[in-house]
Amino acid sequence: MQGMPQVRNTDELKALVGEASQALARLDAERLEELALSCRALHRGLQPGDTQTMTPEAVREARRQMAAFGRVLEVTRGNLEVLRQIRSFEAGLLEYRTPAGPLPAAMEPDHGVD
Amino acid sequence: MGSISSAFSIMTGALQADQSALNTVANNVANASTPGYTRESANFSENSPITISGTQYGTGVSFTGAISVRDRILEQRLAQQQQQASASSARLTALEQIQALFTPASGSSTSTAGNIGSDVTAFFSSFASLEANPTNNALRQQILSSASTLAGDVSNAAASLNAQQAALDQEASGVTSQVNALTSAIANLNTQIQSSSPNADAGALEDQRQQAIAKLAQLVGINQIATENNGLTITTTSGQLLVSQGLSYQLTTGPVGGLTHFFVGSTDVTSQLASGGGELGGYLTARDQDIPSALSSLDQLAYSIATAVNAQNNAGTDLAGDNGNAGNIFYEPTQVAGSASSFAVVMTDPNHIAAAALGAGTGDNSNITTMANLANQTLVNGQTPINYFAAFTSTLGSTVSQVTTENTAQNASVTQLQNLRDSLSAVNLNDEAAAMQVFERSYQAASQMFSILNSLMATTINLGTQTAVS
Repeated sequence: MQGMPQVRNTDELKALVGEASQALARLDAERLEELALSCRALHRGLQPGDTQTMTPEAVREARRQMAAFGRVLEVTRGNLEVLRQIRSFEAGLLEYRTPAGPLPAAMEPDHGVD
Repeated sequence: MGSISSAFSIMTGALQADQSALNTVANNVANASTPGYTRESANFSENSPITISGTQYGTGVSFTGAISVRDRILEQRLAQQQQQASASSARLTALEQIQALFTPASGSSTSTAGNIGSDVTAFFSSFASLEANPTNNALRQQILSSASTLAGDVSNAAASLNAQQAALDQEASGVTSQVNALTSAIANLNTQIQSSSPNADAGALEDQRQQAIAKLAQLVGINQIATENNGLTITTTSGQLLVSQGLSYQLTTGPVGGLTHFFVGSTDVTSQLASGGGELGGYLTARDQDIPSALSSLDQLAYSIATAVNAQNNAGTDLAGDNGNAGNIFYEPTQVAGSASSFAVVMTDPNHIAAAALGAGTGDNSNITTMANLANQTLVNGQTPINYFAAFTSTLGSTVSQVTTENTAQNASVTQLQNLRDSLSAVNLNDEAAAMQVFERSYQAASQMFSILNSLMATTINLGTQTAVS
């Protein structure tokens, strides 16, 4: 386990976003959980007036990074959905699989009353 | 109970089955670094029981062969994401080259095609300089010099864009032979798989086919349709047949309007391939959309400046006394298309710059003042020349940024799916469940992070609007 990241300024915040995108690509759950904890701590520790002024270029870069992180999250959700469907499909197959060969007499299709 | 010999037979069978399973494991280890190899698991089946005096006795297990642990849905998702990632990578490379033409490198005031924005400003400023001393020859020469720098940089940028378009055309054309080789190989593998394993996983052959499909998906956007007897039909994303069972349909090329177009049979599929994905999709999007768009903007800029400046010069009086026919400063374009390439200074004598108003004495500066003010006129599609160029570079930057974001996300998706495929090729359901659990945890943690960061960015560092992720 890596050390808990400490966020002190906007550069570190940007690094945090970048690292989160990469950790999500690697599906590094442990690191992501650590990063989420740090974010929560950072959010709790914020004081009124902690606003930082960023240059327009830094704002653009931060927006770009958040957009990238958001898109990584979206494709991840898409991939997760595919996986869930595969598993639910497989579970359905296990549940409803019919035995190979002819059906037992008790399961013969009902042709109705002649 | 069966006899001792039957018990011995059961044990021998079990030992043989174990040995075969060990061979499967050994095969997995030996192929651990083989690209595209799918791990195999030993498949056992219970032998038919024997009935003696009405009682059934088991006869052990037999090894019935190794089966590849694969999931076609996952493979298809991977191929789909791979083709999108390849398309955005190819397009991004081209876009970055376009952007480099118009964006001065860090620490430099000029890019490879100069700095057109500064050129425009300098050109109109040179008219303003002449206002104070309209007969000054050095200042007149300076106007022609700055006009020449502007025209040279714009036409150089157009030439670079045309050269890049030609290079992309060649790259795209070169993909065709690779696509055809792969579709032929897949058709051939289809035939082998259908004849050797119509109802079961074909192991190594299936791996080879999957690898060929993965390579094909990097090159071109495809759809896969599983058919009977383990066959596979492959179409382009727009539905043109590339492989059907044992047959492949070749992609051919031919020139249309100076560019290579792509055909399946007699159908021109170029625009469908451009939007379909894969490297070819990326090359074609850059060739047919991004570069023409940049060229069109440059054409519009060059056309508007040349026609407006020429018209105003011919509306005044020059030092030689020409009234209303001082001549053109720039080559006069007849249409917008191609104006950037033909942008050039045709005036050689600075005395023909018409600084004076029509019929006024040569010391008058009225017309040169009007020419200087062209910088503030909405000459180019309703914008001033400098604002038009700034908007063009800003739009280009925004496109680069969007494609970068897409590329980052798609590459992340490919990485995830490759990891998942490896996890799901593991041999038991517990491993699969564990892999899913890690996936779910990662997603949950990242979602929480995103939500907090989004709020933090918006409120604490004045980022402004929040990014929405549905």
